[in-house]
Amino acid sequence: MLSKQEFVRVADNIWEIPPTFRDDMRVPARVYADEQLLDAALGDNSVVQLVNTATLPGVVRHAIAMPDIHQGYGFPIGGVVATRLPDGVVSPGGVGYDINCGVRLLASVMTADEIEPYLEDIASSVYANCPSGVGSHGHLRVTNSELDKVLHEGSRWMLAKGYASREDLDRTEECGRVPGADASFVSDHARERGRNQLGTLGAGNHFIEVDKVAEVYDQPTAARLGIFSGNVAVQIHCGSRGLGHQVCEDYVSRFQKAVQDYGIILPDRELVCAPLDSHEGQEYFHAMACAANFAFANRQLLTHMIRHSFEQVLAGKIKDFQLHQVYDVAHNMAKVEEHEVDGRRFRVCVHRKGSTRAFGPGSSVLPEDLRDIGQPVLIPGSMGTASYVLIGTTEAMQQTFGSTCHGAGRLMSRAKARKMVRGTELRDQLRNRGILICAGLLSALAEESPVAYKDVSRVVEVVHKLGIGRKVARLEPVAVIKG
Amino acid sequence: MVSFEEIEHTADWAFRVTGRELGDLLENAARAMQALDGVAPNGEPSATREIEAQGIDRESLLVNWLNEILFLEQTHQLVCERFHIYELNDYRLRARVETRECQESQTHIKAATFHNLKVRETSEGLEAEVVLDV
Repeated sequence: MLSKQEFVRVADNIWEIPPTFRDDMRVPARVYADEQLLDAALGDNSVVQLVNTATLPGVVRHAIAMPDIHQGYGFPIGGVVATRLPDGVVSPGGVGYDINCGVRLLASVMTADEIEPYLEDIASSVYANCPSGVGSHGHLRVTNSELDKVLHEGSRWMLAKGYASREDLDRTEECGRVPGADASFVSDHARERGRNQLGTLGAGNHFIEVDKVAEVYDQPTAARLGIFSGNVAVQIHCGSRGLGHQVCEDYVSRFQKAVQDYGIILPDRELVCAPLDSHEGQEYFHAMACAANFAFANRQLLTHMIRHSFEQVLAGKIKDFQLHQVYDVAHNMAKVEEHEVDGRRFRVCVHRKGSTRAFGPGSSVLPEDLRDIGQPVLIPGSMGTASYVLIGTTEAMQQTFGSTCHGAGRLMSRAKARKMVRGTELRDQLRNRGILICAGLLSALAEESPVAYKDVSRVVEVVHKLGIGRKVARLEPVAVIKG
Repeated sequence: MVSFEEIEHTADWAFRVTGRELGDLLENAARAMQALDGVAPNGEPSATREIEAQGIDRESLLVNWLNEILFLEQTHQLVCERFHIYELNDYRLRARVETRECQESQTHIKAATFHNLKVRETSEGLEAEVVLDV
């Protein structure tokens, strides 16, 4: 583990480990955090993992950690690493096993008070319609050729099948379809693991949450996004399920040999990588794009099922129960983007591992109606705590490759959380605070207890002060649906 | 008794496993992962399954083996009860496993990882620490 003495404080809330710290570092490693969050990061091996990522071939500017940094495997969670193309590397472990894990936010004109009498029925209906748990199967079965189309088309396939609206796609990162997908690079194992999992939530920290917009910090921006104080919103947090996990496994395993072939020396084998322009790098990128599209399609189908649930319960009782999409954004992904480094613009492969894209105003990849305000950024808190809607900024483009934090960040191991917290007590405590919980396994619920996480408000305050994400609104949960 | 102990990890699960020789280590690691995953056999015995895994060394063989077992569990809801590893060297294994249907797992293991993985020789045999992505 490292100590604070190794850091140079380069500005308020920015801490740097210079490349002289270790012979194999190619660039400095930077942690964006206040002093308390830095101390938390120093409590485990996350900063060592960050330093390890500063050794990747082609890495430019800094290896970056967000204030929600915590220990992962290989890359730290909360990491951003950009490599210069064409020969900079892509690392499957730098994206992680849950490729395109991300968050979608739906908003409405209903008030939380209006739906309060029906909340229990809504939560039960969502729980029934959106299967959760590890190996859960969805209601939609796809043939092999349909699965190919999902992998190639993502949300666009859902639109063709009537599970999405054009507006949903416009408000999804990459319009719900990452380019470059080629299903011939996705293994049979991956297909088998994912085939029946479209429209499923999974387990772990994934959830569907019914929220109330508790506070709006930036009225004009919130209004543009259709977010109003007191109204109901819904968050979906999940990813590419077993299909994505298997794609990552397949390529982390294959790249063990590739690093030897390319003479790449790494401090940790989970960081295995290959030049993006190599055939191994390209094949991973094609497969990763498939898994990313699967995840977009999955969140889209869940959206459809959630809308169906609201309709089942509220039709005839509330006039307008529609849920419109605010945005859908990934926080585990590698993307080819153009950024300015040292006064020059060039193409880089940005790995965001537990970090959210946060493009500022003017970015040409944003939908036209958002281009003047920037990209919505969705930051879920830990269970039972607040979540935030931010907006991307010019500062994020300049400092962090258009990236910001992704959540609260874990503080305590799952084993310790299970020992400290009983699932039933936690459920009752949250219930007493007016938060309804629908969960499959109560022991798994205990692992996700808020005591196991950092304070999301503190994390968001740091990125807001740094200007790499500006606060728009705070959401408070009223019902949580989990595996 | 399964020869493993759980290790503290902030976000994921990790365990230290031992074995007299490579076959034992692989079998114990599989049992450790299944124990941490909380899978309990509760259904009918299923057909014997063949597992084949390859790697460039012992570490990658271990990871690929564990991920094959995870695949059986998560795709076919099968827990492995008996292992017969009948072909084994540092680069390849073939095994016959007796399986039984199982309930959904308690935790959510996405994969066995290579994070800081090293199969070490000790005075009693072999030892490895495995981090599982949860």
